[in-house]
Amino acid sequence: MYPVILEILKDGLLAAVAAIGFSSISNTPRRAYLWCGLLAALGHALRYILISPHLLGIHIIAGSTAAAFVIGLLGVVFARKIHCPAEVCFFPALLPMIPGIYAYRTVEALVACLVYTGEAVFNHYLYLLAYNGFTCTFIIAGMVIGANIPVFVLNKLSFQATRA
Amino acid sequence: MTSEEYGTFIADYASLLWGCGATCIRTEKNVARISAALGIDATVEIMPRHVHVILGDGTVIVRKMTHTGINFDINTRLSRLSWDLADSKISFEEMRRRFAEIAGTPPTNRWEVLGLTSAANAAFCAIFGGDIMAMALVMIATALGFRLKQIMLSAGRDARLTCLCAAFFSATFSAAGYIFGLGATPEIAVGTSVLYLIPGVPYINSVSDIIGRHYLCAMSRFLDALILTCCLSAGLASGLCILGLKWF
Repeated sequence: MYPVILEILKDGLLAAVAAIGFSSISNTPRRAYLWCGLLAALGHALRYILISPHLLGIHIIAGSTAAAFVIGLLGVVFARKIHCPAEVCFFPALLPMIPGIYAYRTVEALVACLVYTGEAVFNHYLYLLAYNGFTCTFIIAGMVIGANIPVFVLNKLSFQATRA
Repeated sequence: MTSEEYGTFIADYASLLWGCGATCIRTEKNVARISAALGIDATVEIMPRHVHVILGDGTVIVRKMTHTGINFDINTRLSRLSWDLADSKISFEEMRRRFAEIAGTPPTNRWEVLGLTSAANAAFCAIFGGDIMAMALVMIATALGFRLKQIMLSAGRDARLTCLCAAFFSATFSAAGYIFGLGATPEIAVGTSVLYLIPGVPYINSVSDIIGRHYLCAMSRFLDALILTCCLSAGLASGLCILGLKWF
């Protein structure tokens, strides 16, 4: 039991470090760093619980969408607190969930399709291209839709966050 | 003040707000708020490279998009500015003065960004199962690659070429784990060493724009992000090929 909890905490902590670091590339206001890290930790830990085969084991696309929804919801609440647009709070928190590995494996497979012309090998890389490409696209779409639902549902709260 | 002067300001405002990475929905909402506060009838049309402001009398003001790179600080301050005007806390003159100030906002300290990004990518490596040695390699590889990116961008080099070179540099350094047998997870070090270059915010923005039915901007942002991803993959592949490592 305890190793699982430690793994979840470790996942959350690493996601927080990643979110704060990647948010600095986007010139996020410093007062938002802590909240971005907290959102990322909660969202990523939740996704870990949802998609880990030894825990709930649901599909990565559904897990990412659900975790992003929670990030979006909390992002709208925190945004009001620090007077930043909601996306400033939750975009950096989503970044550790961007399926970067799938994205460049898609490109790798595309290049391999051009390099290897034998039917069997070509078909294998075509399969990898479709698998990684679809997974990457639907994870991103699910994440953004999940995170944006609270922004649109709580429209008034979301777009008044910067109001002094 | 004439409505044309108001319209010109709104076009500059929309150009900077979109250019710093705001979604089309936010740009439209902020512009509508400013127009209402100024009492003018202005419609904004957002295109990937230009913004058009159409005034009630038929005057059209066109501005090129101001590309500052993703800058959430400018996004936040511009949104705040629109509310301050809408709540009658500032005059239009004051708004113009503050806008010029915001447009000249310097980016976050480059050494702070370098340190935080290196730590972030090392954390990413750990999330993907990398060991301590892989994390150390990724941290140094990211610091070197990111520094190269900063130097090339400040020298005005093309963003795609910069991405390719930074990926090449980071991948080549992180491949030291393979070459010298450092750690148990050298493949994770190589794979994650270039992830700091993935343009995550444009990918997220493109889907947000699709939700808002801004399909042209969504496609433009998505293709920009995809091309950068292709460039980083090409940089990674070149590095591994030169070192004689099997990529596929």
